[in-house]
Amino acid sequence: MEIIELADLALKEALKLGATDVSSICTKTNENLVRFSNNSITVSKNIKNLELFLYLAKDKKRIMGSSSNPNIEEIKNFTSNLIKACEALSPSPDYTPLPRIETQYLSHGIYDQKLAEDEIDLIEFVESAIDASLRAGADRVSGSLMTSEENLAILTSGNATGQDKRTKILLNVRAFSGDASGHGLSCSSKLENFNPYEAGKEAGEYAKASINPSPWEEGVYDLITLPTVTADIIQHIGSFASAFAVDSGLSFLADKINQKVSVNDFTLRDYGVIEGGLDGRGFDDEGFPTRENVIIEEGVLKTYLHNSTTAKKFNTSSTGNAGIIDPHPWNLVVDPGSVSIDDMIREVKKGVMVTNNWYTRFQNLRSGEYSTIPRDAAFLIENGKIKHPVVGLRISDSLPRQLANIMAISKERRWIEWWEVSIPTLAPSMLIKSVVITKALG
Amino acid sequence: MINLDEDLLSSVIDLAQRLGAEYAEARLHRTKHLGCLSRNGVPEPALIGDAYGIGMRVIHSGALAFSATNDLSKENIKNMVEKAVKKARASSPLLRHKVLLSKEKSIKANWRSEEKKSVDNVDFDDLFGLLKDIDNLIKDGKNDVSFPNRLLASSILLEEKIYMNSNGTIIKSRVPRVGFSSYITTFYKGKITTITIPSGYSQLGESGGWEVIERLEIFDYVEKEAENLSLAVKSEQKPPKEIVDVILGPQVSGIIAHESAGHPGEADRILGREAAQAGESYLKPNDLGIKIGSKEVHVSDDPTIPHSNGFYLYDDEGVPARKRKLIDAGIIREFLHNRATAYEFKISSNGSSRATSYDREPIVRMANTFVEPGDYSLDELFEDVKLGVYIKSFMEWNIDDKRLNQRYVGLEAYLIERGEMKGMVKNPVLEITTPRLWSSVDARSKEVEFVGATCGKGDPMQGIPVWTGGPNMRLRAIRLGER
Repeated sequence: MEIIELADLALKEALKLGATDVSSICTKTNENLVRFSNNSITVSKNIKNLELFLYLAKDKKRIMGSSSNPNIEEIKNFTSNLIKACEALSPSPDYTPLPRIETQYLSHGIYDQKLAEDEIDLIEFVESAIDASLRAGADRVSGSLMTSEENLAILTSGNATGQDKRTKILLNVRAFSGDASGHGLSCSSKLENFNPYEAGKEAGEYAKASINPSPWEEGVYDLITLPTVTADIIQHIGSFASAFAVDSGLSFLADKINQKVSVNDFTLRDYGVIEGGLDGRGFDDEGFPTRENVIIEEGVLKTYLHNSTTAKKFNTSSTGNAGIIDPHPWNLVVDPGSVSIDDMIREVKKGVMVTNNWYTRFQNLRSGEYSTIPRDAAFLIENGKIKHPVVGLRISDSLPRQLANIMAISKERRWIEWWEVSIPTLAPSMLIKSVVITKALG
Repeated sequence: MINLDEDLLSSVIDLAQRLGAEYAEARLHRTKHLGCLSRNGVPEPALIGDAYGIGMRVIHSGALAFSATNDLSKENIKNMVEKAVKKARASSPLLRHKVLLSKEKSIKANWRSEEKKSVDNVDFDDLFGLLKDIDNLIKDGKNDVSFPNRLLASSILLEEKIYMNSNGTIIKSRVPRVGFSSYITTFYKGKITTITIPSGYSQLGESGGWEVIERLEIFDYVEKEAENLSLAVKSEQKPPKEIVDVILGPQVSGIIAHESAGHPGEADRILGREAAQAGESYLKPNDLGIKIGSKEVHVSDDPTIPHSNGFYLYDDEGVPARKRKLIDAGIIREFLHNRATAYEFKISSNGSSRATSYDREPIVRMANTFVEPGDYSLDELFEDVKLGVYIKSFMEWNIDDKRLNQRYVGLEAYLIERGEMKGMVKNPVLEITTPRLWSSVDARSKEVEFVGATCGKGDPMQGIPVWTGGPNMRLRAIRLGER
């Protein structure tokens, strides 16, 4: 059966059993992945899944479920069990009817048939990335290359219906030169924009440039975040913009609508569908159309991300970001600035430039106090020039302070999605003043 | 119990071998999940998850491939096997290092964790009822601190598997787990803080049936934590700036065991396989026997602890589980291995290979990692501390990808003067290298406590249930930072 037929079967079954609200989404995915380390392939993977997601409400009681066993008999059993479990729940005061959307969604076209083919030669791309890294000065190279195709179909009791599909190719390269390392990425929804050689070269060049790090002192520095680091910061801000997070008291953006949270040059948007975007679709989990939302406009917080339930609580409309419980961003985009990275470096008297990071953790979600660890290449900047590579840094700051202290945003931006950044983000480099950088007691 | 179709697994392995694979394994794996979330006592939509499918690995000409699907039709299974073998073959131009497996005994076993009150009989009434009762305990706040936002979660996770490999091993298993976690916003004199119970974004979690709730003494635990943490968020006293002694509570020693002994002891990281994702290790392959800390440092990982969150008796390569002594009296003694890393080290696997789902490759993982107990009482640890800080729990933490540079920021923390606790200190920061940390340990208390956690690793990501644990652990001569 086609996925739209499976979604339809679940919808009809649920309605027949008395559900008043139903959102039925069927997803078919095909992922091909090659992992490599020490210049050699470690494993090749193929993962094929067919999944049914069902949200039901009956008598204001709400339940959702996912099943990876969607054949006709199992869909009937699963739906019936879900209804029985739903009937046993208590009515929810937060119940909100699913939106009525008389819309037939069409595929948005951010799709490349070449990436959907199982026969695509990933080995050749990996070879190109490794070769470029080695030529640039690395002595060993690791990483992963993934292609994915996703087909979705939705039917809701609110009359939304439609299908969508998307593809992407993600390459993550880490090159080593002795103990020094560099990182490179190439992320694209279409093969024509994918460049494994450049990603490998970038990783290799950073690894080479990071050899022989010199000592540094902990303190307050101006910080240049290259796009991979910016994307990590931005994905957290995007998640903090969820109205569910705000309503649960778990966001530093609470009570800040229409308030200045950043500088005039900073605008953050979320798109359900955008050319080049690595995620997203034309409809959300409630069947509501996704769209462009300006979360922060010229430094002012303009909206949270909503589903129908949070929208009702906040007396506004859905932004097309459901998640049944927790609204979430699809593709985050930071508006470009007007400077180059070289311009930024020239502006800095005492600073550091970080190319990659990981392990971002919060002490207090409401204040936004957090720390994160730069990894791979990082450089000390003095008097407008890169002085030398540094290691062992920790950015120990707070998101509201950093948002308010953005001094410059680069013209150039890149799509970022990798192991540490799960929300696709079109990210520039940023210069942030007066950031606390700490180091470990040795 | 899932429909354990041994014939299906046999057919997968037979076909892989007919296609030239020198090794094949297959795993039917079902994970059923019941999840409940309440906000301020009001239920969010309940969740039922049911993931069931097959994952397989083959080695062909030294190249490894993994393939998975949840379409169990004959035609699709055949397609999956052919694809796996084809992918392994296609790797050969870039295969500079062949994957070979350690020799292990073939096993036939059927095991399950203890389950007195079957999770099959647990329903949303039980799960939401638990959250309602807990919410009632804390909704009025504690010590003049109100808790305006209370997000509580309860869950059942049932894992059933049947595993078979071309070495003749076949193993069936069933492990249910019960868990609780929470996010709470505290409000005191205009100051808003977020905390979690248990702290450090961890969980109360064990393997077992619904009896786990009683065993965890969950109501007492949450009420006591709410009481202590309400006092912690009121504190404005900064930690001392001078060199002090530091006593770390079980939750902190537990996360340190996990981050600074468990992860760096994973042999796949040591060999570089995780370099581009979870990172590598400060330990090199020939570092067994090196000194990393004082004689007081003993860290182990043991999947076989009854009721533990990371409980298993055979790993996902069919190797019997056993306790692993990672650090013994300050000396690196053992790494965590799967069959591929064990072959590289010319030893047998110690049963550390785990996968979270049918569509995830088994990789080297921790289970229940902990600092072993010492012989001090908590009072004795405090006795000869002139000036110190007791960091009982934490929130923010992180560590670099070689596991050398780490940070733990205290949540519930106390000043110690002349052996006595003298009120609370706000968010002391322990930011320290791994050798310095382990070298500073001079004593441990007798009792070990555990909390549940979800450990992330792999590509695609796999969040696997573990325990972290330890005793109270004393560190000498440390300089703390402040938040």
